[in-house]
Amino acid sequence: MKRVYSLGTVVLLSTSLVVSGCGSNNKANESSPSNSATPSASSSASNGSGEKVKLTMGSWRTDDKAVYEKVFAEFNKQYPNIEIDFSPTKSTEYNTVLNTALQTGEGPDIIHLRPYAAGIGLGDSGFIEPINGLPGLEVFPADVMAASTGKDGNVYGVPMALNTVGIMYNKKIFKDNNLEVPKTWDELLKVSQSLKDNKIIPFGFGAKDGWILSMTQGAIGPAGYGGNEFVDKLLKGEKKFTDEEYVQSLQLMKDLVPYFPDKFTGIGYEDMRTFFATEQAAMYVLGDFDVGVIQTMNPALELGVFPIPSKVAGASPTVSTYVDGSYAVNAASKHKEEAKKFLEFATSKEFGNLFANEMKRVSPIPGVTATDPVIAQFAELANTASTPYLMVTNFNSGNPTTKVTLENSMQALYLNNMDAKKVAEELQKNVDTWFKP
Amino acid sequence: MRPSLSFRIIQHTTGYLFAILSLYPVFLMVSSSFKTTLEIFKEPLALPKKLSFAAYEKLLDQLPFGTYLWNSVFVSVISVVIILISCSLAAYYIARTSFKWNGALMFIFLLGMMIPIKLGIVPMFLLMRDLNLTNSPWSLIAIYSAMGIPLGVMILSGFFRTLPKELEEAAKIDGCTDMQILRRIILPLMRPALGTVMIINFVTAWNDFFFPLIFIQSELKKTIPVGMMSLFGEYASDWSTLFAGLTLASLPMIVMFIIASRQFMDGMTAGAVK
Amino acid sequence: MADKPKRLQRNRWSIHLFPIPALAIYLLFIIYPICAAFSYSLYDWKGIKKLEFIGFQNFKNLFTLEPFNTMFWNALEHNVIYFVVQMVVQNGIAFLLAYLVFQKIKGSGFLKVAYFLPRLLSVIVVGFLWKLILNPTYGTINVLLDKLGLDSWTMPWLGDPSTALISIILVNSWFGVGLSLLIFLAGLQSIPTEVVEASRLDGVRGFRMIRTIILPLMIQPIIMVTVLTFIQSFEAFELIYAMQGSMGEPYYSTDTMAVFFYRTAFGGSSSDSVAIGLGSALAVVMFAIIAIISAAFLALTRKVNQE
Repeated sequence: MKRVYSLGTVVLLSTSLVVSGCGSNNKANESSPSNSATPSASSSASNGSGEKVKLTMGSWRTDDKAVYEKVFAEFNKQYPNIEIDFSPTKSTEYNTVLNTALQTGEGPDIIHLRPYAAGIGLGDSGFIEPINGLPGLEVFPADVMAASTGKDGNVYGVPMALNTVGIMYNKKIFKDNNLEVPKTWDELLKVSQSLKDNKIIPFGFGAKDGWILSMTQGAIGPAGYGGNEFVDKLLKGEKKFTDEEYVQSLQLMKDLVPYFPDKFTGIGYEDMRTFFATEQAAMYVLGDFDVGVIQTMNPALELGVFPIPSKVAGASPTVSTYVDGSYAVNAASKHKEEAKKFLEFATSKEFGNLFANEMKRVSPIPGVTATDPVIAQFAELANTASTPYLMVTNFNSGNPTTKVTLENSMQALYLNNMDAKKVAEELQKNVDTWFKP
Repeated sequence: MRPSLSFRIIQHTTGYLFAILSLYPVFLMVSSSFKTTLEIFKEPLALPKKLSFAAYEKLLDQLPFGTYLWNSVFVSVISVVIILISCSLAAYYIARTSFKWNGALMFIFLLGMMIPIKLGIVPMFLLMRDLNLTNSPWSLIAIYSAMGIPLGVMILSGFFRTLPKELEEAAKIDGCTDMQILRRIILPLMRPALGTVMIINFVTAWNDFFFPLIFIQSELKKTIPVGMMSLFGEYASDWSTLFAGLTLASLPMIVMFIIASRQFMDGMTAGAVK
Repeated sequence: MADKPKRLQRNRWSIHLFPIPALAIYLLFIIYPICAAFSYSLYDWKGIKKLEFIGFQNFKNLFTLEPFNTMFWNALEHNVIYFVVQMVVQNGIAFLLAYLVFQKIKGSGFLKVAYFLPRLLSVIVVGFLWKLILNPTYGTINVLLDKLGLDSWTMPWLGDPSTALISIILVNSWFGVGLSLLIFLAGLQSIPTEVVEASRLDGVRGFRMIRTIILPLMIQPIIMVTVLTFIQSFEAFELIYAMQGSMGEPYYSTDTMAVFFYRTAFGGSSSDSVAIGLGSALAVVMFAIIAIISAAFLALTRKVNQE
């Protein structure tokens, strides 16, 4: 009998504990959202006395772990008391994880902020600490800063990488087939045709992953609308997506279908990269950020890159560029000052060199030179032949975003459910719901 | 009176064909982990040319796999224990008493199965923080226990109803309390049903990746599925390592299942239906 | 004997403690957060920031505003297809295999383990493996078809709207067949052997046995599997997310209510616009649909129980 009562007491006790936990929870909800300790906050309160401070950095770059360790080691030479812990989340889940954390007043101290509208939105809602006037920011040109500058002029992040998308090609395959880097769109088609005749897949490409479609269109598209002149007019509202220039840019993407691998609608990003890296495909439209991976997969591959030749008479070839995120400070962080120290460090040339050479990416910091010849070539093209990747730099807003609308409509284009004109109409319909020139 | 030979041949062929179909992807995963990435790509159906454990060595060297494993075991076992105890009590109440609110109580429990539970993630996060459970395995234990309760109550109460009432009436006359009846008479007869609830919830807790992704920040508190997810980012192009990681992540569950399969299976087959 | 009623009385009060632990954990960690989140559907949101109360505007938007209304009906239709195909394929095969194992063919112990094994894998692993098997160039299915000289049958299975959804449902059936099978098997084992033997002596066997003797006695497990399959089909998310991402690619052909919900409430991977209010409204609608239909199923079960 005794045992029953004691068990009953335990049950009662444990439930009352749980219930009272619930009560206190309600109270806490109403008070300030960040009154409880973040994991990083527990270690110390200030940095002034030389105490160690531990910061966390959130990121979607799961593969950069080793490089960041080197970066932090370099950073610690200047700031030995600020320890940073790199804690990435897989890219596809990063937004969910970060948004949930920010909504509850938590999250990492230093945030990899998505570029343009997506990240700026967080800043404009007050979740990101403005870093106006941070020493070092002045080195970046205005168009690079646009990726992390809010509507009211607040700056939210230090630009991280300048992604550059061009056509990578296999030099050896080109040589073996006596092919030259094409200078015009028609030459590109001719090169593709002769590769195809020689049983080589011209483009390592697949339409299964939506983001590949918008990225490829971002690079190839300018060949159809002729680059920056059209872009300016589009942004001023003088041109529309339904105008024939843009329709032609979509049509170019469709014209390449014969040069894509068989059943390309079922091929995703990793597959298309494997086609190129294993030398089954001769060309690959993607950014500098893939160079490191391809070189690891196949160190013997003779990699080259060229800008996309234009179909518009007289227009010069282009690569498309965009800022791939920035380093930002969580407004709810306990250690904003320390976090800003890292951001300052991220504007320095030594950081830029580490970034360019360890990560093999194009750094937005002026004067940084990459030792890898392919990255250097990408960087050179970014300086001389760049046009914005519109869907990320300007049209990643709306719900669903214009970018997503393009991706889905282009899948329909490749599945022959829509023609180029219809895709353009879908885009314009979406843009009309939110875009004001 | 045995079925005809041709019928039995059809029976066996169907049975084993489906077994092959069930096991093939698992076989593919294990065999690919011994291949090189190029082999996987170029000869997807062939067996590995030679057994190479390089990928496994690399992984075990780089990942705190033992820690992940321990965290997964800890979280899954405790959740299952909480589910078993609390559900037995609740199901006994619903099935063996006849208060007028029992129907409503059952329905409240069932509602939990019908909600897309991810919706509540932000309030859940706030709750965990206020209970000081963020970045703790107890946040996962709390959520997995709560998630498992609806199905547990449903299965157990269904099963409790099948037992003859006379058993406990006799016990009551002998002076047993409800708790004694449940512990000494009902539960021992309920082992199969408890086994069912156990395996279903163990698998759910073991394989979930969403909640640890949100609630757990430190590397050393992560469970296997989350540790595995970072593999997809890191080794997206290195398939043999990826496959080795997937095999490592799935293996503990498969081994546990095979070892305990007799008990699990008997539990499941005897207990899944009222 | 005189104190017996008193003793029973005293036992009685403590029994009300029995449901409390389960109820407390469940109310605190599931019902409370969900109710709190339901209220999100009544607010206007800017990204992840809550603005003012707007009543049922989000619900109205869900059903009237392009493209959400089209997406909703498109997704709901896929959920219905999901349910129907799962019922026919997953549960049909599960029943067949349960009957097979029940008849104790050689190695039925091994077969049971084999059929249940997929259920042990994480959905991420399942999604990844089947993505490879269904890959258009080096996936097992197309390579096999090619070797059999059936190359005209090869398809970009997950890249073509006509095959993507059905492929995913079949993978889900592969994954889920074990659980249904065990529930059916339990039902078969609970049929009194005398009934089966008696009808066998009357010369009933094969499919006639299944139809006239077994099926009528299996109504309860069938309803249970139906309810579980229904709830699972209408909440179908993880496998689609693992194989096709949060956009229900290609061109929304694998979109379901839960994927649509995830995309709107969390922004998914490629879409960076989050519409928490609309997403929450969708979750409330999903809940209502599932609750009403499940309640009907359960009422049916009760009726069958009483008969």
